[in-house]
Amino acid sequence: MSKFNRSRRGLYTASVAAMAFAAAISGSVTAASAAEVTIGVLVPLTGELGEFGSIVAKGVELAANEINAAGGTSCGTIRTVVADTAGEPDHAIRAATKMIESDGAVAILGPTSGEMVALVDLAKRKKTVIVSPYAGTITLNKLGGDFVYRTVSSDLGDGAASGLWLTERGYKRVAFLVQNEESTISPAQVARTKVEKSGIEITDYVVYNPGQPSYQAELTAVLAHKPDAIYLAGGQESGVTVIKEATAGGFKGEWLFTADLAVPEIFDAVGARLLNDRAYVEFADADKSLPEYKAFEALHVAKAGEAPGPFAANSFDMMNLVALSLQASGDCTGAGINSAIRGVSEGGVAVSSFADGKAAIAAGKDIDYQGASGPLTFDASGTVAGAYSIQAAKDGAWVNTKFYPASLFD
Amino acid sequence: MASGGTMTLFAQFLVAGVATGCFLILATIGFSLTRRVEGFLNIAHAQLIGVSAFTTWAVNVLLGWHILAAAAIGIVFTALVGLAIGRLVYEPIRHHGPAVMLISSVGVTYVIGGIVDAAVGTGIRTFDIPLATSYEFFGVRITDYQAMVMALAALSGVSMALFLNKTKIGLAVRAMAANPELAASRGIDVRRTSMATWLLASGLAGLAGVMLGVVATLSTDIAFRQILQVLAVAILAGLGSLYSVILSGLIVGIAMDVSVLWIPAGYRPLIAFALVIVVLLFRPEGLAGRKSS
Repeated sequence: MSKFNRSRRGLYTASVAAMAFAAAISGSVTAASAAEVTIGVLVPLTGELGEFGSIVAKGVELAANEINAAGGTSCGTIRTVVADTAGEPDHAIRAATKMIESDGAVAILGPTSGEMVALVDLAKRKKTVIVSPYAGTITLNKLGGDFVYRTVSSDLGDGAASGLWLTERGYKRVAFLVQNEESTISPAQVARTKVEKSGIEITDYVVYNPGQPSYQAELTAVLAHKPDAIYLAGGQESGVTVIKEATAGGFKGEWLFTADLAVPEIFDAVGARLLNDRAYVEFADADKSLPEYKAFEALHVAKAGEAPGPFAANSFDMMNLVALSLQASGDCTGAGINSAIRGVSEGGVAVSSFADGKAAIAAGKDIDYQGASGPLTFDASGTVAGAYSIQAAKDGAWVNTKFYPASLFD
Repeated sequence: MASGGTMTLFAQFLVAGVATGCFLILATIGFSLTRRVEGFLNIAHAQLIGVSAFTTWAVNVLLGWHILAAAAIGIVFTALVGLAIGRLVYEPIRHHGPAVMLISSVGVTYVIGGIVDAAVGTGIRTFDIPLATSYEFFGVRITDYQAMVMALAALSGVSMALFLNKTKIGLAVRAMAANPELAASRGIDVRRTSMATWLLASGLAGLAGVMLGVVATLSTDIAFRQILQVLAVAILAGLGSLYSVILSGLIVGIAMDVSVLWIPAGYRPLIAFALVIVVLLFRPEGLAGRKSS
């Protein structure tokens, strides 16, 4: 999947709400003691991506509670400290530095694409592992792999899945509207190459800046060329305005959105009538047929009282991987996690929970953590292979319509 | 581009540009008024646009009131917030000069932004209003909301001109803008004039906020993101002038949107600032000249 490289909120600071939320979800914010190991949760809690950030924070918390209920790691129970990045790389660096220096965090979980890229140097210098559940940027394909990991696939697969869908739908003419950010441009370029290869005419390829009151200028040429479909790789703010303005401007074709719009709020914001039966959304998705996912889903419903949101499984998995790495290495540092994280996720006895993994390690076995989001085996860049879903807008909700398993993109 | 449709396409870009320009006029006119009367660049003006947009949203969507009632409440509330900030924050530090007030306004920006974040939360918001309706004239589309922005910009310009030239308080505002000490010595009530300025400038930010919410999708940061273009329009206009804001807004809006015909859309903001740089090279005082009103 892509996403989350927003560098938007020039002058905003983390708010009272963020702090209150952080305090609420981190539960027992007590001083670190010998029997605790500190994990930083660094996510956007304010701004457009705030909803994704809170899903991730809750996913991590759910895993941490399970781990602590199983007696914690050999380094102690998991203590989480939460900070808001507002989606800003510079905020992320400040907060991460504080987590490492003051809170003694051995791993930092949850940064977005742009934040991950900004944190690579810090992670390596401070020997602290950073893991993202949704940073798809292809920049990490070069930078990741040592102290830098992600429990999501790269945008290469994301773009390929979009390209596959556009081709399969049998469109003749497709326009691309792409938000001017690395996390949206990188999958769009992959999708564009795929679509071009299959002989579909690309009527326009428009890269636009978000945060505008209106996108009429960007849409003028796009609508004049009457495409069968528009591929829209944009955020919620720009996306909703673009959809409304295109519809008001007479666009009658179909849509393919990227993951930012894969939320139910879109139907309220745009109006379900404009989306039903003509809009689709593509995003990195857990393979919901896997027993590990079903177990996670049941746990999530039982403990959080709701079905897991986007990247909840990926978030749950990254916390478990870090805890299992601490357990396996016995070295309660970032370097310890870094040395063990590949070992616990490939080759060995398959385990799908921390408790099982802990027991297997105690029995002297090598383990292979099978996550809720997928099998989770890191490649050289610390990235996992992923599956993708296409959902269709039906009666005011996103409904699964196509699943592309990870094996398609190897 | 379809051969016969080139002129139509150009006209379509022009309509978009005029609409963009008219929004910029609404967003900038209060900012320029503050600059002229209070003598500093109130960066927090853009946040007031957001205050209005979210107040209107809350009344319209959460309370379920009609958009017109919600808009009226949003504008009045924003005017009062602007007045309160003017009296409580800027008035006591006025003697420190414009640089201190400018920096303080950045602080005010943070505070308002934080409060809006805390109150509104995450995600996006839209008003409960119908989708824009498009009308076509000679193949060129214009939506009712675009027309509304244009009408309001024109109305604001005309009302402002009448206010400043025909009313006693308007004349006092102009006198204070020209020379505060002289105005005070001639018996103009500086305090009352300053209050009128804050109410008016913030109310105009409120109107811009309502139109932002009508046209755009609201995220907590979108209002403040307009500040660079507001600055571009204000600088191009000549920082002291009010009427040239209208011309300047149209120039920036049209240049940005028509440029999309030839230059990738991602460079729209660059067009605004390139224009400012070019104009300032030849007319350092801005479009209006130094002494215009």
